[in-house]
Parts: sequence; structure tokens; C-alpha cells
Amino acid sequence: MHTHYFGASVKGPFHHAERRPNEDAWLGVRGDFGTLVVVSDGLGSRPQARRGSRMACLAVRDAVRHWAAAENAPMGHLVRLVELLWRLRITPASPEDCAATCLFALVRPPGQLVVAGLGDGMVAVRVEGEPARWVLGRRGDAFSNETAALGAARGPGAWSVQSFDTRERPVAAVLATDGISDDLLENRVDGFVSWLLETFAPLEPGARWRELSRELRDWPTPQHLDDKTLAVVWSQPRDERDTP
Amino acid sequence: MSKLKEFTASTARPLPVILMADVSGSMSTNGKIDTLNAAVKDMLETFAREDDSRAEIHVGIVTFGQGGARVHQPLQPAARTQWQPMTASGGTPLGGALQVVTGLLEDRQQVPSRAYRPALVLVSDGQPTDAWEEPLKHLLGSERASKATRFALGIGEDADKGMLQSFLAQADARVFEAHEARQVRQFFRWVTMSVTARSRSSNPNSVAVVEPTALDELDF
Repeated sequence: MHTHYFGASVKGPFHHAERRPNEDAWLGVRGDFGTLVVVSDGLGSRPQARRGSRMACLAVRDAVRHWAAAENAPMGHLVRLVELLWRLRITPASPEDCAATCLFALVRPPGQLVVAGLGDGMVAVRVEGEPARWVLGRRGDAFSNETAALGAARGPGAWSVQSFDTRERPVAAVLATDGISDDLLENRVDGFVSWLLETFAPLEPGARWRELSRELRDWPTPQHLDDKTLAVVWSQPRDERDTP
Repeated sequence: MSKLKEFTASTARPLPVILMADVSGSMSTNGKIDTLNAAVKDMLETFAREDDSRAEIHVGIVTFGQGGARVHQPLQPAARTQWQPMTASGGTPLGGALQVVTGLLEDRQQVPSRAYRPALVLVSDGQPTDAWEEPLKHLLGSERASKATRFALGIGEDADKGMLQSFLAQADARVFEAHEARQVRQFFRWVTMSVTARSRSSNPNSVAVVEPTALDELDF
């Protein structure tokens, strides 16, 4: 199987108006461990939210490298590593000042998808032959802008982790911060995932990033103000074109 | 037009405001119900005009009086609310109203998870006439209803301050007391300002930004 990824992050109208930076971040990276995408949303009220979200992406990358090198390492070790490495990376700032959500998806050879999340947003997964499902990041009993996060969680138990044995079946995972997921219609998640893959996967990287960023900037929900970040990872048989 | 519109909500995130209004017979004396009607109408009109907002303010009104607790105005955008004045008669079945409101706040169809934290406003001028302690315990212990920001107003000398304080469930939260019409209007101005300040802020889940102690300094 061949894996691919793309993503984009745009500053929301509120941060534009306040002349503040985009406090979301995303990362895509490929290595011996497989292909990884991460999205993170720095909590809006925290003074170093931007630093927190960027460090979250790097901490996940570092954690996955260590974790994947150990055979049959438990998932719990992975999320503990993320938390520890994030705290090291933000030092000397305090975790409270840098609090950020963290969602990631890792496609591992020869056929495993691991998704994990701390806080709100969306992780949607589509395994070939089945509709895409929103598997992590639901708000549950919370209301908008209430979330668990790195620097604000109560231990590793606050993480959600799922693993999919994908074997030779193509798989796709879509990650989004709450600026997107709060406005998504839950019964249209499958259509949303299909639209992303069909519209953006065939484009060249530069054009893809520009087009996706434009769509996120022109977000259709009235009075939207949040930063918006999206990352997609998918696998497909090697003998097919790079379109899903 | 982008296809994205097919997958996304077509309305802004709601900020629900739910008023629990005592419409017992005692509210019909000394012009109390008329004052309350005027204050609520002003609040609704302000919310409806609010256009510099991150959230769409939704308002629902639950009354408790003759015939029990009932939904006087269903939860809907303030701009679409057709105001109907409340009338006062009967007892004070607060327990029933607490049950109705808890059910409303726990209903994800009416208050979706994308909503900002609701505001819950209780106004009463007397002692409850039904069992209210258990319904209040249920509200304060429920997953979603317990997260509402609560405001309480006692009108007149006979208002049950202990019950209103229990509703707020915070030792440092203040029960507002109104002994004249002006103070009822002040209270609703404060609720209005607190909600609109939230709706315009970067985090509409933040609690009231207007200090209640500043009420007397506000220009009414």
C-alpha cells in the first residue's frame, strides 16, 4: 500500500480581527514508523496557545518515532510519551499557558491505522467498503469551546485511542480542529471525507494547499470565527494512480 | 458555490438563554408581572438586535404558575421570537419547572453540543409550592444542565432567598433582590449585558464579565 497525506491551517476571522496568530497547527510526516498526521488547537484563552499547538505536533512526531521502534509497545506508552515530550518542548513555559488539544492518525506498515485524541475536534476514519465514521473527538456532554487538552487533562485516561487492522484494504483518516468539526453535520461526515479525497487528492501539492486553504477561509457557516485546521492521510494499493 | 456548504451547519453556534419565570398569583400584585414582562421584552429586543456577535442568542421561557410548569416560549433565535406577555395566577410549582428545564438542556436536539454554555435565569417572588429539592439536585447533578451559568432574582420580601441561593449553588454567587420595578429592570439589563458580552467575546463560554456590584453604577 502507498500512503499519502495533506493538510492546511488557516487563521479564523476572530484572530484576524484581533491581530493574533493562528493558534492551530498541523503536521504530516513519513518515516520508518509509517505515515503520521497531527492537528492541534491551542486553547484560545491561554497566553502561549500557539506554542502549545506547535509543540504538540512535534511531540507526537517524536513520540511515534520512539514508540514504533519498540515491538508491540502498548498504546498507553505512546500517549504518555506525547504528554511528556510536549511538556519538555514547552519548557520553561507552564503547561497551563500552552494548553492545546491533540489529535493524530498513524498508518503503520503493513496494515494498521492508529488514531488517538485528547480534546475536541474530529477524527473520521473510512476503511474501504464502509462509510466514513466520526470515531474520536466528539464533544459528549460538553458545550462548544469546552475541551480536554494537553496541559489541562487529568492524566492519560483522558486520551481516546483506537486501532484498525486495515490489512490490504485502503483506509483514510481525516483530522479536524473544532473550528471545523463544530460546524460539520454529523450525518454528512462520509460525504465530507469523500469530497476531500476526490477534490484535493488528485491536485499537485501546491495547488492542493492553496485550494484547501481557500475553502477553509471561505467557511460557509455564518458568524464562524475560529481557526480551522484539517489533515488527511490515506492509503491505496501501489499499482493505482495517486487518487483514491 | 463550494460543495462544502452541503456538509456544514447553516446557522451560527447558538448561545441559549433560558428564563424560568414565576407566574404565580402573587406576581399579579403591585405590578410585578407587568414589570417582568417589560424587562423580558427589552431583553429579547436587545438580543434580537445583536449583530456584532460570535453566537446566535437563542431564548426559551419556562413559566411556573397556574396549571404547573410549561414552555411559554420555545427555545429559538431571539430574532425570531414573537413575544407574548406572561400572565400570573396559581401556585409556585418550581419543581416542575426545574424538571422541564433539565430535560430541555439535556436534549441535544434543542441544545446541540456546538452550542455555547447556556445561561439559566430564575425569577421568583415566593416559596415553591411543590417538591423542588430533588429536581434541583437532579439539575445540579446532570451532565449538561449543571454547566449552565445561573442567575437568580428574588422579587419582594417574600422571595425564598435560601431556595434561590441553592439554585445558584455557589457560596459567592449573589442572589439579586428587587423591591421595586427599577431593580427588576436592572437585573435584566445585567443579564442582557452579560450574555451579549459573552456572545461577542473570543470565548463565549466565559462567565459574566460585568461585575454585579457595578449594577448601581450603570446608567439605566
